[in-house]
Amino acid sequence: MAEASHVLGMADLLVARAPVKLVTLGLGSCIGLVVFDTTAKVAGMAHIMLPDSRGAIGNEKVGKFADTAVPALIDEMLKKGAVKSHIKAKIAGGAQMFALPGASADFLTVGARNVKETTARLARLGIALIASDTGGNKGRTVEFSTSDWMLKIKTLGKGVTEI
Amino acid sequence: MIDLGSFSSLQLDAIREVGNIGTGNAATALSKLLSCMINMDVPKAELVSIYELAEHYGDPGREVAAVFVRSLGGFGCSLIFVQQEEDAQLMVDLLLKQQFGDYLPENLPQEMRDSALTEVGNIILSSFLNAINLLIGTQHQISVPAVAHDMLSSILDVVASIFGQMGEMALMINTQLRVEGAGLANISGSIILVPDPDALEMLLRKLRVL
Repeated sequence: MAEASHVLGMADLLVARAPVKLVTLGLGSCIGLVVFDTTAKVAGMAHIMLPDSRGAIGNEKVGKFADTAVPALIDEMLKKGAVKSHIKAKIAGGAQMFALPGASADFLTVGARNVKETTARLARLGIALIASDTGGNKGRTVEFSTSDWMLKIKTLGKGVTEI
Repeated sequence: MIDLGSFSSLQLDAIREVGNIGTGNAATALSKLLSCMINMDVPKAELVSIYELAEHYGDPGREVAAVFVRSLGGFGCSLIFVQQEEDAQLMVDLLLKQQFGDYLPENLPQEMRDSALTEVGNIILSSFLNAINLLIGTQHQISVPAVAHDMLSSILDVVASIFGQMGEMALMINTQLRVEGAGLANISGSIILVPDPDALEMLLRKLRVL
């Protein structure tokens, strides 16, 4: 069967059955979270923008915040037949694009807070985080394929790595 | 806090005028620095979905160079000067050729080229900000500039995360500057102004549109 390919935009969240390729472009401070169950052959991805939905106004996309995206993504996995204890996770992103010496601005460190919150939410649900490539100051394009369950990470000027 | 969803066209026009005044000043500064004629577009003030910021400005994976500064006190905001990577490098060549004459800028270390690029961005953004503060009668301090070379969408994450904390729309003031001159390739760049949430209210009051 041909591998379906999905490109996820900001705050998107998607779970699909293998064979599938999940892609998200140019993650800066955002997080690309991948979860998968190799036995049930399902995989999901979320493009998380911010750590915390408290103070959020109205009915926003669940994929936007780490605290809402992680449980929603796992729920969706279970609905598609994944078994919770088999689900594994990988994350990439959470860079700090600009560093201003001396000037403290909360939003510049949002990447690190995204990583922290995503990791904490996975732990709370008992999901094993088996690989991550986070932080630094470079953007990442990520591609997850169920053909080998690997997360391919492209960084400008540094080439491609796999986790 | 301002609800961007109920922004009126009068308010957007007032914001655009602020962009116009800022851009005029920035263009003058860049023109002096490069001894070239600079053309500017009429700025746009628009509300853009935070989920489609990068797509709104082009290919999300496009390689860009961006200079970033924060304004502290007075009118609090973030300013970004974004260029296609090739344009940024052409602009650096232009500046360094003036400074070093025959010395080939390509031979300069990357840090030195980056430093030149950062300084050009800093001058453009500071001039932009000075004009706005003069207009609304506030005093401000400007942070040291930071530079990044990366994908457009990664750079605009900064903007998305600021506006994302208060809703799903971003208010973008966007304007283009183009370096013109005989024998020069077209070099252009965009200034993006991102007001802090509380500063936006203050700005609208000063402009008497709130």
